[in-house]
Amino acid sequence: MTNVRAPELKVERTEMGNGLVVLLAEDHAIPALSINAMVKAGERYLEDAKAGWGTLAGEMLIEGTLDRTAQQIAALVESAGGTLKAAGGYATTGVSLTLLSEDMPMGLELAAEMLRTPAFGADRLGLAADRRLAELRAKHDDPRWVASTAFNEIVFEGTPQGRPLMGREDTIGRIVREDLVAYHHRFFAPNNALITVVGDFDAAEVAARIEALFGDWERDPGFALPFVTEPVRYQPPRSRFIRMEKEQVNIFLGHLGVRRNTPDYAAIRVLDTILGDSPGFTSRIPRVLRDEQGLAYTVYCRMAGSAGIDPGRFEAYIGTAPENLDRAIDGLREQIALMAERGPSDAEVAEAKAYLTGSSVFDYETNAQVAAFLSTAEICGLGFDEPQRYMEEVSRVTTRDVRRAARDYIKPDALCLVVVGEEG
Amino acid sequence: MIHSSAFDLTANAALVRLPNGLSVLACEVHDRPVVTSMIWYRVGSRNEEPGQTGKSHFLEHMLFKGTDRYGKGEIDAITLREGGSNNAFTDTDFTAYYFNFAADRWDVALEIEASRMSANMFDADEFASEKEVVLEELRIGLDSPWDALDQAVWAAAFTQHTYHHPVIGWMEDLERATRDDMEAYYRRWYHPRNATIVVVGDFDARAALDRIEELFGEKPEGPAPKLELSREPRQQGERRVTVERPTEVERLQMGWRAPEVAHADSYALHVLATLAGTGRTSRLHERLIERDRSVITQSVDYTDRIDPTLLTVRAEIRPGRTLPDVESAIRDEIARLQDRPPSDEELARAKRLMRARFILEHDTAANRAVTLGLYETIHTHRFLADYFERIDEVSAEQVRKAAGEYLNSDNLTVGHLIDEGASAR
Repeated sequence: MTNVRAPELKVERTEMGNGLVVLLAEDHAIPALSINAMVKAGERYLEDAKAGWGTLAGEMLIEGTLDRTAQQIAALVESAGGTLKAAGGYATTGVSLTLLSEDMPMGLELAAEMLRTPAFGADRLGLAADRRLAELRAKHDDPRWVASTAFNEIVFEGTPQGRPLMGREDTIGRIVREDLVAYHHRFFAPNNALITVVGDFDAAEVAARIEALFGDWERDPGFALPFVTEPVRYQPPRSRFIRMEKEQVNIFLGHLGVRRNTPDYAAIRVLDTILGDSPGFTSRIPRVLRDEQGLAYTVYCRMAGSAGIDPGRFEAYIGTAPENLDRAIDGLREQIALMAERGPSDAEVAEAKAYLTGSSVFDYETNAQVAAFLSTAEICGLGFDEPQRYMEEVSRVTTRDVRRAARDYIKPDALCLVVVGEEG
Repeated sequence: MIHSSAFDLTANAALVRLPNGLSVLACEVHDRPVVTSMIWYRVGSRNEEPGQTGKSHFLEHMLFKGTDRYGKGEIDAITLREGGSNNAFTDTDFTAYYFNFAADRWDVALEIEASRMSANMFDADEFASEKEVVLEELRIGLDSPWDALDQAVWAAAFTQHTYHHPVIGWMEDLERATRDDMEAYYRRWYHPRNATIVVVGDFDARAALDRIEELFGEKPEGPAPKLELSREPRQQGERRVTVERPTEVERLQMGWRAPEVAHADSYALHVLATLAGTGRTSRLHERLIERDRSVITQSVDYTDRIDPTLLTVRAEIRPGRTLPDVESAIRDEIARLQDRPPSDEELARAKRLMRARFILEHDTAANRAVTLGLYETIHTHRFLADYFERIDEVSAEQVRKAAGEYLNSDNLTVGHLIDEGASAR
């Protein structure tokens, strides 16, 4: 049945004299292209007292450069009908542009300015910090966010993943311009940077333009990323209840997950597909709790989805009416324990493998998807043949592999629980 | 390099109508080895009678519960085995179902749609348990401040037309819904004359049409899809609603009655909505976020619908600022649009933004299928063929005129979402 083949991405990788890595992939399906320009920086590398500074610094990249104001940048991009997003994340920080092909030169020029010479104007920073403080308050209206944030605090205690990417009111309230300048000086160096361009363009032309725009950016000879604290694998289970007047209770149950580069990644994807993360209601947890018992609209369980440069989370989520609280938690626990103890059936494994190999073509459909994949592959050290390699690994996964993965990575005795809502 | 002016979504789209009234839109695009297959029914919350609201959306859920040919859960199981994805969505004017598959297996989707168009099962136990799922979905909305405010504004703006009630329905109506009513509703609206099949991607259109004729051609055309709706009478004077609930961030939604998709003024209003609210160069961003610093976010929405609808402006108020101040700033900006036409530069920027976003949004077979199916269902897909030529023809003066004609207080409903207890303090 599987004659679907993973796409072969033709990627041109070069490392410039100053250490800047450039990834180019031509694709002429539509008259447009995506540009990602980023550095390895973000919340991962900041101590707790600076929570949220990395994501705020990312947003500030589009708030003006030495040559252009924020409004000039916006006018340039929007007159061309493009989109520009700046984001500071957990481990990467930068800008992504999606543009019509004819606007490629403008896009590269802006990307160079925003990465190399952001203004970090005090007035713009004040505005951005105020907005962030207001957003933090708006988040309190979102019970699922509140639950997810509390869950992270428990699962990733004592590490940067344990706090909200947005930071906290105390840390955001304190930031000044000099902090951003210092952050930029510390992390924004060509030998810590990556430019990815995917779409409708001529690679030789784009390579020449990148050389002209970034070639004189000076390498930081002593650059090294800071040491990062590892989270504790399985702690004694803890739980937390946060009371909110809501129609639903939002429940998270789980513990620490895995890294993206774990050799068991393919087996864990198969495991997720069987236990709680597949299309429709084919996997066990949505089938039993939603389709059979009618407990929820949204219910899932997964581990691979949040796997990154650091271990993600093994999480089961359900939103249900308060009177179903105990049934919902018991139902999740029962299914998780059953999988950890007995593993899946051969038929389940065969179906999950067919799904994962057949659907991989949808993972690389758009320029933005391909650009994001290439950047991740570079940063997590996956290799650009990952689509083919992953297909092969999935097709080699056996029932025994999945059973072993379930036993090794799911610990029913270490499940942490967060409940947000009214008491049942 | 391909020039953007050459982009036309309808270029390869061929519409065929079978003798039984089924519309088929096939569009070959060979840049990726995938195919999206959709079926659109021209039925949504717009078709629902009072006391029976939420039925269209609930019915969408029931179409995954088994047919005479596919047992319960089998549609999802087949999708899984074939490495695809499926889902469905319901709005005021339509209910749409889709499958995304690798290019070599597009016919699986059509076989499923053929079966559930006329032979869906309505098992009583399945109906009862799915009702609980739909009620949970409704509760998610009740917990969202924006959903609560949006429902209040639409309910106040439409008193007779069915855009009055939310797509998810009112909770009491859903609680008392019966299996038999549901099946009758299905028999009334799910048949070839009220449906459009859309297939987009890497397939052979001729072969697909043959297969569709085999699968659907013998079905009876069904009853004439007749719907007698009350027209919404002319509004006389501004309407105001307040929603109180515990929140740290107050919210504003202003909705003006605005024309339907087929109306000639819809082009000018789309340009207006873009220059008013899309992007960091838009008027409301510059005024509310840059100058006044009074809101966290703002957005303008004007969604094409079969019947006259609302153009809405939304804003999240920054703590420390007040709702009345933000409302009056928005009124200022509307007055400015009514007084003076936008500059040529501003107009050109809005038009280019619309065109480029349209191209950038249609980079997958799935997104192309959605847009083609949507317009064929609410109007005609040919509407898209000259859409940007018509947008280019919109003059600055037409934008000013549209602002005056539609964005006035006789068309306006204002909604405030305030912190519970704040009005008493």
